[in-house]
Amino acid sequence: MDMRQQRARFTAAWPWISTAARLGLAAVFLIAGGLKVTDLAASGRAVNAYQLMSYDAAKLVGAVQPFLEIALGLLLLVGLAVRLSAVIAALVLVIFIGAIISAWAHGLQIDCGCFSKGGELAGGRTAEYGTEILRDVGFLALAGILLVKPHTKFSVDGLLMGER
Amino acid sequence: MSKGGKDRAKAKRIVEQQKAAERRRRVTIWTSVAVVAVLLIAGLIGWGVLANQEKTDAGKLTTPSVAVDDGTAFSVGTGTVVVDLYEDFMCPICHEFETATGPTIKQLISQNKVTVRYHPVSILDRASNGTKYSTRAAGAAAAAAVDGKFTEYHDVLFANQPQENSDGLSNAKLIELGKSVGLGDSFSTAVNNGTYESWAAKATETFTARRYTGTPTIVVAGKKVEGPDHTLPTTEIFSQAVSQAAG
Repeated sequence: MDMRQQRARFTAAWPWISTAARLGLAAVFLIAGGLKVTDLAASGRAVNAYQLMSYDAAKLVGAVQPFLEIALGLLLLVGLAVRLSAVIAALVLVIFIGAIISAWAHGLQIDCGCFSKGGELAGGRTAEYGTEILRDVGFLALAGILLVKPHTKFSVDGLLMGER
Repeated sequence: MSKGGKDRAKAKRIVEQQKAAERRRRVTIWTSVAVVAVLLIAGLIGWGVLANQEKTDAGKLTTPSVAVDDGTAFSVGTGTVVVDLYEDFMCPICHEFETATGPTIKQLISQNKVTVRYHPVSILDRASNGTKYSTRAAGAAAAAAVDGKFTEYHDVLFANQPQENSDGLSNAKLIELGKSVGLGDSFSTAVNNGTYESWAAKATETFTARRYTGTPTIVVAGKKVEGPDHTLPTTEIFSQAVSQAAG
């Protein structure tokens, strides 16, 4: 197989890689939001635990965040304005990573609240900030794929552009 | 094909390309607008749900008559050193603390050395399969306090602490435990009606607003007491903090 054939094959694979990234990222946001949306007070406490803002602000962020995550997950799931959705997802993830780094730097012992309502860890458990950041960087990579190659299969974007 | 035919085909292709580009541009703009709109609406829903919850909670709020410290705690003892204990009845580490250090606390109370302000909080509602055991237990403790049996009920709740991620104790069981320490009908009514459940949410808010995040939080004379590396303080560390505060 010569270079050109190889490249052609890769070009054909991109939409499928991007589709997998899109659906994966959608699942991440839907699960993260779904786990928090049932108890908004707990979600507010999780945000408050980062000590980045006043409690009143944290309560509002904690209430709004799960709904935003679910909305973003749904947008990615149906594939509407994939590139823009990916940019927003990446921004959100960068904010999350920044918050975890801040908690780490300040020596706070908290659950990141990424896939839970978070809060302070019970005695004996230590925060696994490194793992949490690594995981978020992985999600960021998915968003990165979509940013560069937003063309995916089974998307509303494709439908509207008149693709089959 | 003639030269004219070639030109026409080329022109047609250019027009089609322009049309496709125009379509892509329109689709991009409108899908972007849709994304922003969806996210805005989602954010407003979250805000609305929160505002609505706070209004409902405020409407139902009944503060126990005997509560101190902005109506968030129940005071036991008359000593000079104030000890604030924030506990969730579902929290195993609180149970551990009560087992290890509870007897010392009782002794310090009876020796008139400390005033303990018990703050029941409900941060572990997620750990009772949706029955909100933490909130119900904190509300029941408030009802017990109103009827003058806080310490007794507090102790019996920890002695009968349910497993995390179980359904917790039912209201019937909470009432049965109340009866075992001499609580009567007004207590049962308060538990069944959830009279103090909104208050438990409010007390938890105060706890969070004070920047406390976990239970137990043990505060002696305004200073948080912890073991090394944010662990549970031993009875010795706790007693030291109390004698230091006493001067």
